[in-house]
Amino acid sequence: MHHPRAVLSLTLALAALLSAACEPDPLDVDASVTTHPVADTLPVLGQGIVAERFTGEVASRGSYAYTTTWSSRAGVRGNGVKVWNVAGAQPQLVDSLIVEGAQTIGDVQISDDGALLMVATERTDGSIVLYDLANPAKPNLLSRFMSDATRFAGVHTAKFGRVGGRLYAFLSVNPAPPRLVIVEVTDPLHPVQVLERTMGNPFIHDVFLRDGILFTALWNDGIAIWDLGGGGSGGSPANPILLGSTPTVGGQAHNVWWYHDSAGQKRYAFVGQEGPSVIGSGASGDVHVLDVSNLKAPREVAFYHVPGAGPHNFAMDEASGTLYAAFYNGGVRVLDVRGDLAVCSSEERAADGRCDLGLMKREAAVALTAGSYIWGVARNGDRLFASDMIKGLFVVGLRH
Amino acid sequence: MTSDSRVSGAAALLRFSLFLFATLGGFGPLGGQMRPMNDESGMGIRAIGLVTEARPGLLGENRRGWYLTQPIVSLHDPGAHLSSQMMLNFEAWTLKEGELNAGTWGEGFVDKRHPHTFLHEMVFTLHTDSVGSAFSLTGGRGFAPFGSDDPMVRPFVKFPANHHWSQVMERWVVVGAARLSSHLGVEAGVFNGDEPTGPRSRGETSRIGDSRAARITLWPARALELQVSRALVESPEHVDGGGLDHRKWHASGRLSFDVGTSAVYGFMEWTRTDQYTQAEDLAYSFSSTLAEAAVDMSRFLVAARWERTTRPEEERLEDPFRSARPPADESVIGVTRWNSVSFHMAASANGSDFALSPFVELSRHSVQEISGGIFDPATFYGSTRQWTLSAGIKLLSGVQHSRAGRYGAALRPFDQPMMNH
Repeated sequence: MHHPRAVLSLTLALAALLSAACEPDPLDVDASVTTHPVADTLPVLGQGIVAERFTGEVASRGSYAYTTTWSSRAGVRGNGVKVWNVAGAQPQLVDSLIVEGAQTIGDVQISDDGALLMVATERTDGSIVLYDLANPAKPNLLSRFMSDATRFAGVHTAKFGRVGGRLYAFLSVNPAPPRLVIVEVTDPLHPVQVLERTMGNPFIHDVFLRDGILFTALWNDGIAIWDLGGGGSGGSPANPILLGSTPTVGGQAHNVWWYHDSAGQKRYAFVGQEGPSVIGSGASGDVHVLDVSNLKAPREVAFYHVPGAGPHNFAMDEASGTLYAAFYNGGVRVLDVRGDLAVCSSEERAADGRCDLGLMKREAAVALTAGSYIWGVARNGDRLFASDMIKGLFVVGLRH
Repeated sequence: MTSDSRVSGAAALLRFSLFLFATLGGFGPLGGQMRPMNDESGMGIRAIGLVTEARPGLLGENRRGWYLTQPIVSLHDPGAHLSSQMMLNFEAWTLKEGELNAGTWGEGFVDKRHPHTFLHEMVFTLHTDSVGSAFSLTGGRGFAPFGSDDPMVRPFVKFPANHHWSQVMERWVVVGAARLSSHLGVEAGVFNGDEPTGPRSRGETSRIGDSRAARITLWPARALELQVSRALVESPEHVDGGGLDHRKWHASGRLSFDVGTSAVYGFMEWTRTDQYTQAEDLAYSFSSTLAEAAVDMSRFLVAARWERTTRPEEERLEDPFRSARPPADESVIGVTRWNSVSFHMAASANGSDFALSPFVELSRHSVQEISGGIFDPATFYGSTRQWTLSAGIKLLSGVQHSRAGRYGAALRPFDQPMMNH
């Protein structure tokens, strides 16, 4: 060796590199935080095990519940919908639907009249699939809608909504360019696309329609509110007119629920923030509370945080002022959202001025907080159906 | 045995050959006279034909693929004050479905290396020298001043898993470099953060300047190069922005010297990439440590590589070697740590205009899920341990890249970017 100084330098450099190499693997700080252990306060009444596929969203009406499957598990594609008879405490699997050609499915919805079931397919060949629920135990395929707006991307979520007596499906299509696609499904055998509009930064993940007003969850662009016929601005499903918008703290606005309380107040919208997650072990993000009493100037007033976990989809019992939030590894969180959520003491307020619902003792109950990874929740009477991505369908009792 | 992603064989080879024929007609004979480095314009070609077998490749099944990889034409014009270099890469024709390469990932390919862009590199460098120092300004499409040399100019044919952690390439760059003494060099540059979306990707020119990188290099001795670099890359996986930003550190040591007629090469690197949301919250962190060494005894080359790298696991598409680009959300289904050991042996037969180098490469990979996510390597691959065996022939002719990732004053006079094969 002709380079003693080189050897010395290299030795020192290698020692430094080796010491760096011996550091533990850096992992996501939030995702590696274990959620604060809390005791479940709601009972699990039953479980429908799904082991061969990962479970996605859940929808329920009457004596039936429907769960989707997602991605691929040990080579088995998430292209099935499970049909459960939930008349008893223990869900009974009564049928399975396979969506031909689907790479994965995610969202599932039941129309407000209980006549239709809608399933969204993702990745390429994105579509919505409509089933007749005349026999809810045996959904009957009616049609599948796919257009150039969905074909080369995926329908991440699809929601039913009625405007002027006509039934529409609202499709959140990703990835780039993210776009809202509205399809009229009044005649479910012949769906008709009425709108394709680019929105979302960089995603649009979900929407909420009520009274002709559409809320869109636009990730880093927050929430936008559109007149589709109920806002007095001349909007329609074919031509939504923007009423207002606001970013949410931290971005990643994923889903939204516009709450109408039992007194007729329409002041708050709840937004789920889907932060980075390691599916199966950790998640991040908060529930954000927007004051939308002025639809043209929404503003965030409160939030709810679970360390090491993050929300996904919501269900509500509006009459009792109860929000049910699927919280991935944090299980199911039940929030009391009655009254004024924007007024709190200084001790209950975050540094940025927002009220902290946790500190305000608004967490009313929890369930499935150990070993679960909850995608969605659906309330049906005095029971809550929760879809666990790993284990399947859980039935949670709401009387506590 | 499942045969996977074969070269669409003759057609791809024919296209590449026709391109070479047409190109050579314009530039004259290959620069195969073993001219001194960098004293004149030159052109080079490079291509590797190989077969790779992965045991197991997927779901317990072995996978095999035949490839024409790294089909490249290089052009170099070393002027006194203005130089240029270009590298055209034709993997879009020969590696449409990627190349079996366990552990490697990026640009929507997983466990297969993605094809690089046609215009892999095209840079122009203004440079000036004064006593003991040198300055340069480089612009064009190429490497950001970050990390280590492109694996293509290193001893192994198969890329390490950390390719997307340790290099930032195929970007529109403006890089200023200064060699302040024989022992110290600094570089700083701006570029577009978006990574290619496919081999025909030209990059989002409107994003030039949204990302930046800088590197400090020490040369304690002629044989040794030490560097530390930092890159802030905006939303590489979303062309329109808004995705996770990457903040990267890299440190490495590179040793290169001769012993008699043999050339000895040693290299070690550590790198870390932290991914942040648009709200500046840390989402994920990944790291890699790699060491490799080689001895080139003119007619024979032996090399060894060790690597420990963590990578994200994302939902696979219908093709299990692909993931969605851009992704549809910011979640992952797991984080895996890859421990790999590789050996490479090659012989070399030099003609007057070319070098042919038959080689064999063997790798042993151990993969472990470390985040508690739902990705299960034992199920997905069929084992947590994999073997990869590759054998083939490398063809080199004319002027070749000897370094890839540095321009102008960031290189020492005897450490030039291009050399004859």
